[in-house]
Amino acid sequence: MERIVITGLGTVNAVSKNVDEYTAALKNGECGVGPISVFDTTGYRTHTGGEVKDFSPRSMIPKEFSLHRMSRADKMAFIAALEALTNAGLFPFPGELSADTGVIIGGGAGGMLQGEEFFKEYITNGPERIRFSLMAPLHCAASADHIAGKLGLFGPKTTFMTACSSSANAMGFAADLIRDGLCRVVVTGGTEPLSRITYAGFNSLRSVDPEYPKPFDKNRQGLSLGEGAGVLILESLSHAKERGANIVAEFLGYGVTCDAHHMTAPAPDAGGAARSMRAALADAGIDATRIDYINAHGTATPANDLVETAAIKAVLGKRAYDVPVSSTKSMIGHTLGAAGALEAVASILAMNGGFISPTIHHTEPDPECDLDYVTEGAREGAMDIFLSNSFAFGGNNTTVIIGRFTEKGVVNE
Amino acid sequence: MSRPVVITGVGMVTPLGISSEVVFDRLIAGESAVRPISSFDTADLPSHLGAEIADFDAKEIIPGRAIRKMDRLSRIAVAAAKLAMSDAGLVIDDDNMDRVGITLGVAYGSVDVSVQFATTLFDEGPTMVNPILVPNTVMNAPAGHSSIVLGFRGINCTVNHKETSGETAIAFAAGQIKKGRADVMFAGGADVVGRLIYEILGRFRALSPLDGKDEAARPFDVRRNGAAAGEGAGVICLESLESARKRGAKVYGEVAGFGMSAAPSPLNTWPTSTQGPVTALTRALESAGIAPGDVSYISASASGHPALDDLEAKAVAEVFGEGPSGPRVSSVKGAVGESASSGGVRAALSAMSLVRGVVPPTAGLETPAFPLNHVIGTGSETDISYIVQNGFSSGGTFVSLVYKISD
Repeated sequence: MERIVITGLGTVNAVSKNVDEYTAALKNGECGVGPISVFDTTGYRTHTGGEVKDFSPRSMIPKEFSLHRMSRADKMAFIAALEALTNAGLFPFPGELSADTGVIIGGGAGGMLQGEEFFKEYITNGPERIRFSLMAPLHCAASADHIAGKLGLFGPKTTFMTACSSSANAMGFAADLIRDGLCRVVVTGGTEPLSRITYAGFNSLRSVDPEYPKPFDKNRQGLSLGEGAGVLILESLSHAKERGANIVAEFLGYGVTCDAHHMTAPAPDAGGAARSMRAALADAGIDATRIDYINAHGTATPANDLVETAAIKAVLGKRAYDVPVSSTKSMIGHTLGAAGALEAVASILAMNGGFISPTIHHTEPDPECDLDYVTEGAREGAMDIFLSNSFAFGGNNTTVIIGRFTEKGVVNE
Repeated sequence: MSRPVVITGVGMVTPLGISSEVVFDRLIAGESAVRPISSFDTADLPSHLGAEIADFDAKEIIPGRAIRKMDRLSRIAVAAAKLAMSDAGLVIDDDNMDRVGITLGVAYGSVDVSVQFATTLFDEGPTMVNPILVPNTVMNAPAGHSSIVLGFRGINCTVNHKETSGETAIAFAAGQIKKGRADVMFAGGADVVGRLIYEILGRFRALSPLDGKDEAARPFDVRRNGAAAGEGAGVICLESLESARKRGAKVYGEVAGFGMSAAPSPLNTWPTSTQGPVTALTRALESAGIAPGDVSYISASASGHPALDDLEAKAVAEVFGEGPSGPRVSSVKGAVGESASSGGVRAALSAMSLVRGVVPPTAGLETPAFPLNHVIGTGSETDISYIVQNGFSSGGTFVSLVYKISD
């Protein structure tokens, strides 16, 4: 079977606007969660989030690309895509690859931040004289449409919207398309904007911490919503070699399961989460002893962290205590549709940088969450293979497994 | 691992009826469900027609009390999945539940629930919003509800890419079985029409009458002037051939391959160049290992939108040739409207065509604008070997699925 490699990474998020800044922020354990300014939080129960600060897309996107009808999510995705393509040596985009390059994105609220202006006008003034143009980029499919359209790509294109596991699903399907020979390169990942409706929704469910998220801490009260985009260039190994690309990692496998239990709460027996990790291990053709690090879903909600800890123990057995587990969400917040991609990018950067990124804001251990959550700050450490979890509304669980690239294949070593 | 994937069940909740047999018979008879919208007032809008689901009582299909937590979109989606499961004769138990999943395509989601939520948010303030509404505002709610009610613990995800959502969900699901990650996958799509989405589609120039003349759904017709908004849910049960044989399940046909592509396009309409759809069609045929001449029927994406129909007709002619020598071509959107993720309903109908050897007509088509082998008036008995189903979305996204008759 064709091996799938990763040849470029790109990101915009609450702690950084490119992968070099992201690496430094992960190493320093920086906190990107703070007061929100993209909308007025007066009257909301909480006021913080992982916002992309001082975002000036026009200065980050070459002038040849119009920003017309692009939402905040579209712009973040496009910036991350351009960075990833540039790092992969594919920008300016080589025209001869256009039919062989797909775009598979995990979406979330899409153009909701602008769409809310529309809703406000619609609700307050009715449909007369309303600016329907505000709705133009509402659909979360627009991010993939902009990337493929602006770069002239003719390969497979789609958008997954499986709430918080959207971009993990997107990466999995991207790998499948290459394995099936339907294309050779895929621009994949996810994008998510902060928006009032999402913010009010999570607040109404009482899942938001009023300060910042404290994953696996005894006093954790919930997540912080975040925003950003993460993009990875997936490519067949043969194609990457043929064009002499710089390979940054190998995509080893993914697994998807469903709790079939409750729309918003994880199954308390942790079965769905554990089956997701096992499915990914089976897809990668490795057993759990090969996992060197787990990038947790780690939202900091009381239920998630408990269930995820139990699932990790179920899959790793006694070894669970020896494998570092950390939550990128402690730094950038929960970026929902972009989370799987942003966390895969973070883990690859840490793997290649020889460190393990920390779980910040963790001060008091929870006796029921007793794994090694890397709470003392980033530590030096080598890893060959890591596993990243994304669990979602609807009982959806997705796990991806990525490894260091070696000629022989890290799974065979 | 590469295992044959077969269709063993279909389920539909459509404006032409709930039972798949009824829907198919009415389509073949040339009936259309397109009529003046009755669930909301269209007096102040430029369009007034649509195809709405009528006489649907979810309680008759969906077991238990979980139905209370579902909005209308989830109800039609879960009902279609349940109907497909019953049709497949599949019983979920402890031994198979982890190997059964669902992938749905949802193009617009529960817009009415989002409007209700946003109305409270902006009228009464953020602390007054109802948390009970939140799960149903998310696109993957129908697949989530389906898994809870029907007990599917395997692969579950939702595709949200406008008019290609349903076809892509089916392509993804078939791939999971082919690769041995699941034995059974329910796949399809669901969308509902409400006042706001109807208005938005009108403003973005999707709905008839774009030219201000007679309002109607007329795919491929010289007088076509926009789509009629539709709604519906269609789910097919995909299964490994091995699993279907073991259960002694009836087999409608096989999912033989798929192709996907993109093309630069304005966000809210279709491109004029055929390169995108021709790429998807060519790749689909390659993936199925067949030649254009092997295809007997094309279930078209055409809705009556001038740009979409023009693009699809030209792409089909380019790949399959013009005139009566080409495959039969029809679009059911003249009868059930454009429900965006109609891929599920059209997949279920294609499966029935494979078994019955009859293909549906394009309701509303009188004078073809394109030299294709159209099906006009009533259904046509056709010697079927392969069917191609197209899903082409505005913004330039193309998916083509290939179904094969059972050996």
